[in-house]
Amino acid sequence: MGIISLERADHLYWIGRYTERVFTTLVTFFDFYDQMIDMDLNAYQDYCKMVSIPDIYGDSGTFSKRYLFDKYDPNSVYSNLERAYDNAIVIRDEISSYTLAYIQLALDHLQAASGSAAPHYDLQQVIDDLHAFWGCVDDRVDDEEARNIMKCGKYLERLDLYIRLGYPDRDIERGYSKFVNRLDKVHLKYHENCRRKLDEIVGSGSVKERKDEAVAAVWNFF
Amino acid sequence: MLLDLVDHKESINRLLARYGVKFGIYKNNVFHEQLFPFDPIPRVITRKEFDYLNRGLSQRVRALNCFLADVYSERKIVKDGVIPADFIYSSKGYLPQCEGITPPKKIYSHISGIDLVQGRDGDWYILEDNLRIPSGASYPMIARDLTRQAAPEAFTRRHVLDNRNYASMLRQTMDYVNTGGINVVLTPGRYNAAFFEHSYLAERSGAVLCMPQDLAVEDNKLYYRSYEGRKMQVGAVYRRISDEYLDPLCFLPESLIGVPGLMNVYASGNVAVINAPGNGVADDKGIYYFVPHMIRYYLGEEAILKNAPTYLAFYEKDRSFILEHLNRLVVKDVSEAGGYGVVFGSNLSAGELQKLADAIRTEPRRFIAQEVIDFVDLMIVDGNEQVPRKADLRAFVLAGEETQVWPSGLTRFSRNPDSFVVNSSQGGGFKDTWVLSH
Repeated sequence: MGIISLERADHLYWIGRYTERVFTTLVTFFDFYDQMIDMDLNAYQDYCKMVSIPDIYGDSGTFSKRYLFDKYDPNSVYSNLERAYDNAIVIRDEISSYTLAYIQLALDHLQAASGSAAPHYDLQQVIDDLHAFWGCVDDRVDDEEARNIMKCGKYLERLDLYIRLGYPDRDIERGYSKFVNRLDKVHLKYHENCRRKLDEIVGSGSVKERKDEAVAAVWNFF
Repeated sequence: MLLDLVDHKESINRLLARYGVKFGIYKNNVFHEQLFPFDPIPRVITRKEFDYLNRGLSQRVRALNCFLADVYSERKIVKDGVIPADFIYSSKGYLPQCEGITPPKKIYSHISGIDLVQGRDGDWYILEDNLRIPSGASYPMIARDLTRQAAPEAFTRRHVLDNRNYASMLRQTMDYVNTGGINVVLTPGRYNAAFFEHSYLAERSGAVLCMPQDLAVEDNKLYYRSYEGRKMQVGAVYRRISDEYLDPLCFLPESLIGVPGLMNVYASGNVAVINAPGNGVADDKGIYYFVPHMIRYYLGEEAILKNAPTYLAFYEKDRSFILEHLNRLVVKDVSEAGGYGVVFGSNLSAGELQKLADAIRTEPRRFIAQEVIDFVDLMIVDGNEQVPRKADLRAFVLAGEETQVWPSGLTRFSRNPDSFVVNSSQGGGFKDTWVLSH
């Protein structure tokens, strides 16, 4: 219908952020999990520092369980996926039941994997659901502005995590380019100084040297 | 018959879970969202039987609409002594703020949910009318869609009328009264018990699902506001918010889920509100008794569908009868809904019966009593076996250009073998309702 309320724009944006947070977190988590199998049992501590979450876990086994599946841990993957669902369910009419179903499926699969001895294997299904979710967004969300707002959230979250987790410059540049491409197509109000700062840092390939500034610019962007 | 569907129970319920077919319930003030248990064996209604129900239900809703128009304007039915004034003006559903307001196209109850049961004698009995914000149509609608996916063969040999047209019927109903602008479904939000329905009906009918804060009144018109400052006029609001919370400037001032000024816009004829505020006076359990009288009074016809035999404690003669036969009657508190405030005398101890009798004597207007209808059981799948359970039918009647009954309905059943209470809030499940094309 071509008109998006403030409330709805907010939900669209945060669906993008939370689904991407779950997606990138899971993908990255597997790298750390791999290290924790037999190389560095404390690798999770670095991970917590990188994404600025408190280390409430104590050991790698507890981290693997709680960080993925604990609904009472506000930083867990499960909690973030629930927040994606909370934002999605209130705009079913915008994104369609088909699209919403992939978040529900991701939640169901995440829950089903909670007892698994091989989370890497079982959580692949959650990643697949999220891929399907974004495919469905392109196919089923008719309103272009709505799609673009969702993708603004998605790519800003990706940028944030890529910077924090030390992804290669090329990935960060690509993520930032996708973000500004969507940003220029919507009417979201943002802080222009943050954009200038990110243009400068990402454009000069100095994210690693100026990581704190980049993280702050993303944090304060909207 | 229909046993082929039993094997598909699990796959259908899996699909229902996938699409989030849930309802909310508050327990100890904490919100829980749960799947609405679905039984795959449908209630089946023949075309002939449906035609009969269609005539009876349409007649009833036409009369109820006449009653609402009358009671908020000339009140002829009171002046002519058909319904005592007490029953209208003491009803919690009667809203003086609605006096003199004529809704677009003079339709008050656009979507009516009428609860019926079928007695063992084959007759249908009306249990209650729901003319405020009856919910439930979305469940059989989506269940049909998903059952057809999971068990297509079940439909190839049978001739079942498609019920997936509910959303288009709803759309037509909204369009008919729309005063110019978009259609919206106004929901109080995610933590409402029927939120699934709000969101699903919005999606399927093409209306915009909106929260109260998305709407604003300006120049006595209602607008949907965009995040970048544009606005779009709203012509019809299918509101899923109770009357008392709808507009804090008119009803409860503490309401945070209303739209300030909405009632003025509505009263000026600048927006249609579906269903009209004030309808509660017509679905009051006490007014129920008078519906056959209304049909006679407004339409000059005899009621096609029967009420359950009902006694009004308000009338002395009825009150004596109720008190004398309390142990075999079902007593309903007219101020309660959702299956609450319904008491079967046969389940009460002597002390409890005495307490109830005292309450009836003290506040007779608050209670009605009905004969317990021995209504038919329907088979449900329980584990590996099929067992009989009590079930009712909520039929949906849509009043737009014409008044018509949706060829389906929500069949609710009790999962407890000893209970007549079918409400989802009290653990009941639901079935699809098939209307055969012959």
